[in-house]
Amino acid sequence: MSNSASKLKSLTANIETIIRGKPQEIKYVVTALLSRGHILLEDNPGAGKTVLAKTLAQSISEGAIDFHSANGGVAFKRIQFTPDLLPMDLIGSYIFDEAKKDFVFKKGPLFTHVLLADEINRASPKVQSALLECMAENQISSGDHTFQLDQFFFTIATQNPIEMEGTYPLPTAQLDRFSMKISFGYVSEEVEFDIYSNYLAINNGKNTVKQVLTYQDIIQLQKEAEEVYIHPELVKGIVKIVQGTRQHAEIALGCSTRGGITFIKSLKAWALVNQRDYVIEDDLRALAQPVLHHRLIFRNREASQTALAQIVDKVVNGLAKLGISGKK
Amino acid sequence: MKYTSPQDRIQQLLIRWVLVLVPTLLIGFITLRFLNFSYTSLNTSIGLQTLYFGLGLVVAYSLYFYGARWLITIIILWLVYWLFEKIINRLPGEFDVFYTTAKFQLYSTLFIFGWAFGFLLARVRWAYAILFGLLSVVTLVSISDTIDVSLSYILSRIAPVVVYGLYMLFLTPILVNRIELNPKKSAWLVVRVALFALLILLAFAITESLMKGNLKAVEKELAARGAKGDKDGGSKKGDDYDDRNGLMDKTDDGYRLKDTMWVNSKMSQSDKLMFCSKLDNYFPDGSPAPLYFVYHYLTRYDPVKETFTRDINVPSFDEIDVDPTKIPMYYSYTDTSIIRKSKGLKFRRIVEAQVYLSENTWKHSVLGPASVFSIQTIPVEKDFQKTFISGYKITSFASELNNAYFVYNISANPKLEPLQEQRHDELRDVNGYQKTDPRFVEYYTKIPTGGIYDSISKLASSLVSKDAKPVDKVIAVRDFFLQRNENGKRVFRYTLKAGAVDDPNIPSSRMLYDFLFKTHAGYCTYYAGASLFMLRSLGVPTRFTTGFATINRSDKNKGWYWFYASQAHAWTQVYFPGYGWLDFDMTIGNEDQQSAPKPDGTPPLPPPEPWLVLNAKAETVNVTAKKLDANFNQLIHFNTPYVLNQTFSKPIDASLCRVLINKRDTTFAAIQPGDSIIIVSYKDEAKKIPAPRAGVAIEEQIRSFPTPIIADEIHIHKKEVEKKKENAGKKPTAMQEKKMTWQEIAWLAAKAFGILFILILLLPILYLIYRLARIAFSSTTASKADQVYRAALYRFHMAGFERETETPLEYAQQKIDPTTQAGFEEFMRMYLRLKYSNGTLRDGDESTIRTFQSSVGNTIRKSVGTFRATINYFNIFRALRYFQQPEINSENSSL
Repeated sequence: MSNSASKLKSLTANIETIIRGKPQEIKYVVTALLSRGHILLEDNPGAGKTVLAKTLAQSISEGAIDFHSANGGVAFKRIQFTPDLLPMDLIGSYIFDEAKKDFVFKKGPLFTHVLLADEINRASPKVQSALLECMAENQISSGDHTFQLDQFFFTIATQNPIEMEGTYPLPTAQLDRFSMKISFGYVSEEVEFDIYSNYLAINNGKNTVKQVLTYQDIIQLQKEAEEVYIHPELVKGIVKIVQGTRQHAEIALGCSTRGGITFIKSLKAWALVNQRDYVIEDDLRALAQPVLHHRLIFRNREASQTALAQIVDKVVNGLAKLGISGKK
Repeated sequence: MKYTSPQDRIQQLLIRWVLVLVPTLLIGFITLRFLNFSYTSLNTSIGLQTLYFGLGLVVAYSLYFYGARWLITIIILWLVYWLFEKIINRLPGEFDVFYTTAKFQLYSTLFIFGWAFGFLLARVRWAYAILFGLLSVVTLVSISDTIDVSLSYILSRIAPVVVYGLYMLFLTPILVNRIELNPKKSAWLVVRVALFALLILLAFAITESLMKGNLKAVEKELAARGAKGDKDGGSKKGDDYDDRNGLMDKTDDGYRLKDTMWVNSKMSQSDKLMFCSKLDNYFPDGSPAPLYFVYHYLTRYDPVKETFTRDINVPSFDEIDVDPTKIPMYYSYTDTSIIRKSKGLKFRRIVEAQVYLSENTWKHSVLGPASVFSIQTIPVEKDFQKTFISGYKITSFASELNNAYFVYNISANPKLEPLQEQRHDELRDVNGYQKTDPRFVEYYTKIPTGGIYDSISKLASSLVSKDAKPVDKVIAVRDFFLQRNENGKRVFRYTLKAGAVDDPNIPSSRMLYDFLFKTHAGYCTYYAGASLFMLRSLGVPTRFTTGFATINRSDKNKGWYWFYASQAHAWTQVYFPGYGWLDFDMTIGNEDQQSAPKPDGTPPLPPPEPWLVLNAKAETVNVTAKKLDANFNQLIHFNTPYVLNQTFSKPIDASLCRVLINKRDTTFAAIQPGDSIIIVSYKDEAKKIPAPRAGVAIEEQIRSFPTPIIADEIHIHKKEVEKKKENAGKKPTAMQEKKMTWQEIAWLAAKAFGILFILILLLPILYLIYRLARIAFSSTTASKADQVYRAALYRFHMAGFERETETPLEYAQQKIDPTTQAGFEEFMRMYLRLKYSNGTLRDGDESTIRTFQSSVGNTIRKSVGTFRATINYFNIFRALRYFQQPEINSENSSL
C-alpha cells in the first residue's frame, strides 16, 4: 500500500508540474487508468485536454516506443480525428509487400498502450465505432484476422462540446463505453497568471516530463485497485443510486448494470488514488457525476443539472446516518 | 415544485388533501362543535356547517393549488352572481326568505371562511400560524363565555387546536417538496406522525398532571374559605371570590345571590329558571298579590371593602337561619322569634308559599317573602323532577304593604300610582323614630362621613325638608330618580353596562357618587345603594335587600310565579315603627329594554297532605312482597311532631309506594336493611290512620295504628358512612366545575401553554443529553465512535453550523474545521475508516475519539461564545431542521 501510494503520488505530482490547478481532473484520469477504463474529456479547445493526456502518457512511457518491443516502457499514440478520417487509418491496412509477394498487415495507431483520441466527435460515426470496438473488446478485427491488444490499453478521448459546428455527437450507447466523462473547465485567475508567467517552460514541457512509472507498475496498481475493499452498505447505496436513476421521473434512460459495475470499479480505483484501501461515502459523491452522468438521458436541461445530484445526495445522506456495522 | 405530468400534479394534490385538508377539516369540525355548544344562535346541523366550510376549503385549496389567480376568483364570483341573477329573474320570490334566514348567513359565512382558509393554505407557507392564532382566539373566547368550566374542559378544548398547530408546524417543511408515494416512505411518515402524536400526548399529560396540583391548591383554599364561611352561618362563603358577573354566583350547587353588594359593570342576564313558587297571597277580590322574594339582607357598611355585607349580629335580625337541605322530608323548622323580630304588627298576615327549586338555585338558604319564620320540606311531583330538584313550604309573617304593586317603581303608571298613594297615605301616620330603640335606629342609619359621603348627604338633604315624614323622604328619593330634565327626558337611566369607570370588582362609594352626580346610569344595585346612603343620611333606618323581583305575568295559574336568573334584584327596605320593614324599589324601569317575555311553566301539583310521617330505620326488607319492618322513635302525626321515649316497630306495606332516594325516584329494591327511611302515609280515610285524640299519650295512640301501615312514600337516607364516602368522592368534581372568569381561563390556558412551550423548548437539550448519555453508555470503541460522531454532528448543528447536502467529511473540512479548529476532519477520516474499511482498530484511534470528544464543547464555546452556545439549544426550529431531510434544490447541490 505505502509503495503504491508513493508511486501514485509521484505520478500525480509529475502531471501537476505541467497541468496547473487541476488536481481533481488529474485524479479522475488516473482513476480511469487504474480501473482499466477509458476517459472522455470534454471542453472547449485550448483548455489543456491534450496536454494532460500527453503528460500522462509520457509519465508512464519513454516516448513513442515500438509497441511490441517495449521492455517496461509504455507505448503512446495520438490520433487527431477529422471528418475525413477512415477506419483503416486507425486500425491499419493490408499492404502488398513486394519482397514477400504477399499482403502484410500494417498496424495502425490503435496498436498502443495509451491512445490519445483527439476531438473524437469530429470523426464520422464509422470511425468512432471502430475505436469504440477496440475499447470495449480490447481487440481489433480486420479482414479475417483478429488482433489482440495488450491487456493495458487506455484511451483518453477528448471532444469539443457538442454544440460546436462540424461535430458528430457520440450516442449515449457509445458514451457508455467510456468509464468516465469529465469536463475540464478553465483554471482560476491565480493559476492562469502562473501559467502565463511560466509558459516558456511549459512550452518545452515534453522535454521536462520524466517517466515515473513503468508498464509493470501500472499493471500492479490496476491489480491493487481491484483489491480495494468496498463495504456492503456502500454497494447497497450504489444499487439505490442506479435504481434511483431508473425510477426518477425526470430521467428518461437510467443507468445500466454495466454502468453500476464500472461505478464500483472506478470507486475502488478512486479510493486507491486517494491513498485508501477502502471506499467511503464521499467517493460516491465525487464519482457519481463523472461516471454516471453521461450514461443517462434526461428529460430536460434543468433535470440534467439536478436530478442525479438529488439521488446521490439522498443516498449519501442515508449512509451518513448509518452507524458502524450498519445500525441506524 | 415541478410536476412531471398532469397525473403527477393530481397525485400531489390528492396527497395534500389527505395531509392538509383532512386535519384542517377536522379542526374546523371540532371548533364548530364547541361553538355550537357555547352559542345557541349557531345551533343548526354541525354536519351541514362542516360541509359548507369544507366545500369552501377544498374548492379554494384545489383552485389555488392549480395556480388560480385573483382573476379567476373574480370570474367565479361574477359567474355566481350572474347565475343567481338569472335564477332570481326566473323564479321571483322563491329565494327571498331563504336569503334572510340566519341559516343562509351562517352557511355562507362558513363557506367564505373555508375559502379563505383554503387560499391561505395553498398560497402562504406559514398559513397555519394564522389559522392557529385565529382558532386559539375563537376557542378562548368561547371558553370564557361558557359557564361550566374545569381544567380538563379547557384542555380538551385547547388540545385539538394546539395539536393542529404543532402538526402543521411539523408538516409544513415536508409540503415544500414533492411527496413521493412509496410504501416505505409512507410508513416512515406514519411512524413520524405517530411519534409526534405520542410526544404531544405526553406533553399534555405532563401539563395536566402539573396543573392538577395547581388546581388542588385552589380547591383547598376555597374549601378552607367555605368552612370558615359555614361557621358564620353559611353566609359568607364566597365573600372574596366573585365572578364579576352580576348578582348571581355560580357555586358548587347552583346559583345564588351575592352576599355582598357588588356594584358591577355587567349583570347576569341569564334565562335560567331559578325557581317557581305558589304564593298564597291574594287581594280581597281574589286576584294574586305578588311579594318580592328575599334572599339576604345586607346591613353593615364595610369601610375596608367599601361595600355592604351581611351581618347576623344585628338588632332584631329577622332572617330565618336554617339550611333547608338539612331538614328531613316533611319535617319543619320554625323560629317564632322572627315574628317578634319583624317588629311590625299592622297590616301583617300569615302568608304561605310553596317553593320549588331548580338545580340552578342555591339550596342552602331560604327564599321567601319577608319575613319567613317556618319552613317544611316537601317532595317534588315525579313529572316535575326534571325541572325542580327540591321543594319546601314556607310560612311568612308578611306585610300587606309589601305587595309588589306598591313596590314596583314604574312612574306614571295609572294603575299603580293610586295603589302606591294609598300605601304612602297609610305610612304618613309615622312621624319619626323617637319611640324606637335608639340602638336599632343608630345601627340602621350608620354611614361613613366626609368627602363624597358628605356630598351624598348634602344631595339627600336638599331633596327634602328636615322635618318631613319618613315616607315623604322615601318618596323624595324615589322622585329624585324619576326626575326629568327640561326636555322631558329622564335624567337617570337604567343600564347593565354601568360602572366600568374603576375596577369593577370594588363597588366603591366613589362609583355610587359617580352614579349620582355624573353618569346617572346604573342597574338595581346602583339605585338601591344610592337610596340606602341617601335615606340613611336622612335618618331613616334602611337596609339593602337582595332577592328576586316577583312578576305576575299572567293570571292563568293564580298565585304561581316563575323566577328567572334575570329577575335577581336588589332593593331597599325601610323601617316604619308599627309596620316593620317595608320594601321600596327605587330602580327605574328600563325604557330601552325589549326583552322577550319569559313564559310561565306548568305548575307542579301540590304535595299531598301527610297524616303520618315516620322517621324510621328499616329492619327487615322483603323485596318481592314489597314489605318491610320499620323501627321508629320519631314521627309526625297530623302535622304534630313527636319524639318518643321508646322505639316502636311496625310492619309497613309498601306495595303501592313511591320510593325516593335523594329526592329522586328509585325502586323498592334500593332499600337496604339498616337504612334510615322516612315513611309517609297520605291523608286517606282508607288507610285508617286514626285522628289524634286529645289527652291521650302518643305512645297509646301508636298502638291503635293499623297493621301493616300502608305507605305512600318512602324516602331513603343512605347509611351515614356511605353518604360521607359519596360526598368525598363528589367534592373535587363539584369544585372543579365552578365558574371561571375569562381572566382565570386565560391565565390557566397561558400557564398550560407556558408549560407546554417550555417542554417543547427543552426538547433540543433533552436530545443532547440523550446523545451524550449514549456516548457514556457505549461499550465498544466502534459504537463509541458512532455515538461521538452523532453527538458531534448534532452539537455542531446546534452551534449554527448546519450541514446541507455535504457529506459529513466535507462538512468537517469546509464548515467546521476552518472556523473552529475542532479537529473534526481528522476524527471523520478515522471514523470513516472504521465504518467502511472492514479493518480493525489502530493504536491511535481510541485516543483520537477521546480527545475529539472532550474538545468538542470547548471548541464550540470558543468559536461562538459560551452564551450563544447555550442559547442556541433553545432554537427549536434549528433542532427541527436537524431531523429533517435536507432540502435538495439546484442552488446548493453540487457534485
